[in-house]
Amino acid sequence: MAETKACPKCGAELPDNAPSGICPKCLMQAGLESEQDVGSAAEMNPTTLWSGFVPPEPEDLAKFFPQLEILELLGKGGMGAVYKARQPGLDRLVAVKILPPEIGSDPAFTERFTREARALAKLTHQNIVSIFDFGQADGLYYFMMEYVDGANLRHVIETGAIKPEEALAIVPQICEALQFAHDEGIVHRDIKPENILVDKQGRVKIADFGLAKLLGKAPAEVTLTGTHQAMGTLHYMAPEQMQGAAAVDHRADIYSLGVVFYEMLTGELPMGRFEPPSKKVQIDVRLDEVVLRSLESTPDRRYQHASDVKTDVESIVAASDTRFPAAQPETAEFESLVRGRMKVPAIGLRVAGIVNLLAALLFVLIMVLVPGSEVFSMRTMIFVVLALLSLVQGIILVIGASRMFDLQSYRIAVLAAVVAILPCAPGFLISLPFGIWALIVLSMGNVQTAFARESEREQMMKESGSAVV
Amino acid sequence: MSAGHTSSPDSRRALASLCETYWYPLYAYVRRRVPDVSEAQDMTQAFFAELLEKNYVGSATPDRGRFRAFLLTAFKHFLSKQWEKAKAQKRGGGRAPIPLDFESADSSIRIEPASGITAEQFYDQQWAIALLGQIIKQLEAECEQSGKSKLFEELKGFIIGDHIGTSYGQVAEKLNLTEAAAKKAASRMRRRYRELLREEIAQTVEGPDKVGDEIRNLFNTLEL
Repeated sequence: MAETKACPKCGAELPDNAPSGICPKCLMQAGLESEQDVGSAAEMNPTTLWSGFVPPEPEDLAKFFPQLEILELLGKGGMGAVYKARQPGLDRLVAVKILPPEIGSDPAFTERFTREARALAKLTHQNIVSIFDFGQADGLYYFMMEYVDGANLRHVIETGAIKPEEALAIVPQICEALQFAHDEGIVHRDIKPENILVDKQGRVKIADFGLAKLLGKAPAEVTLTGTHQAMGTLHYMAPEQMQGAAAVDHRADIYSLGVVFYEMLTGELPMGRFEPPSKKVQIDVRLDEVVLRSLESTPDRRYQHASDVKTDVESIVAASDTRFPAAQPETAEFESLVRGRMKVPAIGLRVAGIVNLLAALLFVLIMVLVPGSEVFSMRTMIFVVLALLSLVQGIILVIGASRMFDLQSYRIAVLAAVVAILPCAPGFLISLPFGIWALIVLSMGNVQTAFARESEREQMMKESGSAVV
Repeated sequence: MSAGHTSSPDSRRALASLCETYWYPLYAYVRRRVPDVSEAQDMTQAFFAELLEKNYVGSATPDRGRFRAFLLTAFKHFLSKQWEKAKAQKRGGGRAPIPLDFESADSSIRIEPASGITAEQFYDQQWAIALLGQIIKQLEAECEQSGKSKLFEELKGFIIGDHIGTSYGQVAEKLNLTEAAAKKAASRMRRRYRELLREEIAQTVEGPDKVGDEIRNLFNTLEL
């Protein structure tokens, strides 16, 4: 076994077939560094562009776009300004994004612009802001995109605390968009709440795809001590991106997704030694794993595909559907056990109840049929009383028994059992033993719980039933 | 990518030379999958014969795929076809096979599945190494032609940049140059190396703008 040597520069083990004994990793890296040397002279430093850029007023912009009605300035971002506009012919609203004019002075830019814009225009997806048109208007580079009537995630997070359910509805849509773009070979590189729009129907739309690459590097990448805006972006940037490492691929987007996810759930950014989200808000513990895995510093340990994040989130959401708690099987078994216990005494009481009802009927018949004394004689009175008692007790027993069967209305069940013990009707002989039995069963702790649960469930079903339109 | 676009003799020659450089990663890949050495050798040989004969590359879609990925995919298809047929493929059917130096390949190959990387990743790594090896060889040849072999030998370590281990002072002495001259020579060689690297990679991807990405990807795989 040949002794293995190490590279004097990076310390890695040299493979046996290392070219001329030189470390292949360092060689490859050397090939990369050149790119930066070659590029830096011609490349515009993006930070200088944005700081001086003052977006024109809508009226002033209108002369660049005679075919549009420029309505208002929506915002100025790190990569230009966005306006709301209207296409009179089609009578639809669009968003027009213009890039800072200085950018046009780089000759290589036009070529890159066209190429990138074409690639971006191919991204047709319901969760990606569509690009309708792009080009130059009197030297001003622009994109015309779909107008999203809503707010960006930054506003949403800042104004109202996003509820976990909402976050869990948003994340899968982001994943879909990312996966689609990644499949087309496009990496966003600048995923952050400002770039994630949510329209009034709650649909997520991601904007500014690929623009980071188009414009050179994202402003924050160039200098770590940039403006406040640039600093803000840093938090969402994957570690490999921040270090300026060469091997930045689609997994950087997944890291940014993790940061956004964490922020949506907890309202805070995952910095330093941060707590898992389930410790900060009431969510399923399994989501911690999803978030943490997305936030892995090493790309290889992260989720490798956005679609995997989506799958995991969706399966956790499905499993923790609180309408029918996961303990359901347990409950069912437990429930049937209790029902079993309740069955016999309930039957007994039902029988006794029926007997009582029959007896009441009998008494009434006797009263009516047997000829006798005056209406208010002693005998009649007795019969009337007996009939009434039997009737009442019979009814109570029958109702109580059916409540016992359904494990509903614990109080009524107990009442029935108590009544069953009272010697006031002919069915007493039957109802006494069953009544005692019923009381014993009803006094058991787990039986009470079962009753309580069942009533709750009934309640919820009634409520949700009324909510369904 | 000249090798793939037409079926002219020019493109065939380009393809043949590409194959000469990059057969080893494929061999490394198949060795990971097939324990029997001679079967692995046969497969590799046969694949290249078929590749050149039928000029597969012409059918590769131009806007998708690097040659590197294409080659592996084609090889995988080929392998599964062969294994289905389950018969030994004759070596190129009488044609002179491409001289593949299996002997030295086998001696330098380390087949143990190291640290859980897949066969495909291993292929990518070996591709990267083969590529770099080719470049360094070219560079060496160039230096030799202009009588600068000694220069190459001493300064090649600096292609990757400055690092502890050598100093320009020492090297300058050996080469009878001033330190400044040595530094300049090293930087010139570095630049030439980069040019050659990017040229070579440009041959295997579909546009000069994809070169950077390919370098990054390869660097990535080497990091595994």
